[in-house]
Amino acid sequence: MSNLQPTAASRGLACCHLCLKLVSQATHRCPRCGSTIHSRKANSLERTLALLMTATILYIPANLLPIMITDQLGQSIESTIVGGVILLLDMGSIAIALVIFAASVIIPLTKLALLYYLCWSVRRGPPETVRQRTAIYRVIEFIGKWSMIDVFVVAILVALINLSNLLVIRPGPAALAFAGVVILSMVAAESFDPRLMWDRQETIDE
Amino acid sequence: MVSRNKRREVSFSTDQRGLTVATEREANGANPQRSSPDGLACRSCDLIFDVSMLRDGESANCTRCGGFLSRYTANQFEQVAAVSLAALVLLGLGCSYPFILLKFNGLESAMTLPQVSLSLISHGMPVLSFCVAGFIIVIPAVVLLLLLAMTGAIVTDRHYRWLPWVGRVIFTLKSWSMVEVFFLGVLVSLVKVSRMATVEMGVAFWAYAAFSVLFVLAMSGLDRAQSWRRIEWLGQ
Repeated sequence: MSNLQPTAASRGLACCHLCLKLVSQATHRCPRCGSTIHSRKANSLERTLALLMTATILYIPANLLPIMITDQLGQSIESTIVGGVILLLDMGSIAIALVIFAASVIIPLTKLALLYYLCWSVRRGPPETVRQRTAIYRVIEFIGKWSMIDVFVVAILVALINLSNLLVIRPGPAALAFAGVVILSMVAAESFDPRLMWDRQETIDE
Repeated sequence: MVSRNKRREVSFSTDQRGLTVATEREANGANPQRSSPDGLACRSCDLIFDVSMLRDGESANCTRCGGFLSRYTANQFEQVAAVSLAALVLLGLGCSYPFILLKFNGLESAMTLPQVSLSLISHGMPVLSFCVAGFIIVIPAVVLLLLLAMTGAIVTDRHYRWLPWVGRVIFTLKSWSMVEVFFLGVLVSLVKVSRMATVEMGVAFWAYAAFSVLFVLAMSGLDRAQSWRRIEWLGQ
């Protein structure tokens, strides 16, 4: 990999995280937009790991507690995230079941696992994969909010299905826990700084 | 965004063409509209690039990590202003008419968009209600309003003291709108409910559908680097 082009850090410059202005690293406040200047995101690894762990712990109640409660003719049926997917499969809605399963189980779990891997890889990852790891980070950033779909489905069904005593749908505590997982992992992805991986790459190259 | 003319990708990739940024710039000629020579650092790997030579419809990606750098569209701000205004009107319609109508055993009920969030409060979940309202109504509305203010100022070549503040709020909130995710959620719920009751899409459903398309268009048409260059230029 050629080092013909300089990085901002090697020139003593820092890029404003908000407006992308290049300023001297000694600057505290961006002269263009007024944001605080950091050459690299502040305490990136510690923050990302702390948020990731919180999200991982919250993922447990999000799956064990009911996300939706159906009151039909005096009978209450509680369903969890995975229970809802199984119910959809039984009803024959395979496509919808796949969408919900992907958004609520596959995406959040892979996202958490990949972010842990990226944090680990900053210090110990194989240098030849740094480009792929940056690509992984971009995918994580893009895909994060799509997990929210199950929470929205619950909110819509709760608002829509409210037919006096005949049929009422209530939100379960897992809806809040799962929204927490999605929001925390989005903040975790935002606090991770992919440039740390390239910084290590450069010290190896030299 | 909407420009279909010469959507050429200039990605200065060393392995593809072996061209450096400097030769590319000589070949194309610098864009007269944007004279500021300052560089742009890749947000993923920190490499510095000069993107001032981008011409209408061209975008640049980092040569080392492939990350997106910037995209120049000559009438970007006029387009974003127009799309934001239309999206804002549609969001207003989407909030004020019935979204989905339900018929079940002779019983009827209608749902509006604000109810998606409000009914969570009545079930004792104010925090979740607050988040849902933010992601699908409040954040998109605030972003669009501020976007109108920002693009309005840029298009009319006027500087205001609040312009950098507005830009900061827009680019901070931008990633927290979940308009398109919510719309997929609406489609999933429709399929779920249609198995047990008759559902009808209301006016607001179609308004919100169009709104989400326009909102995504406005967001993808808005280039961070180009916006801030213009804001800075107006302030000088």
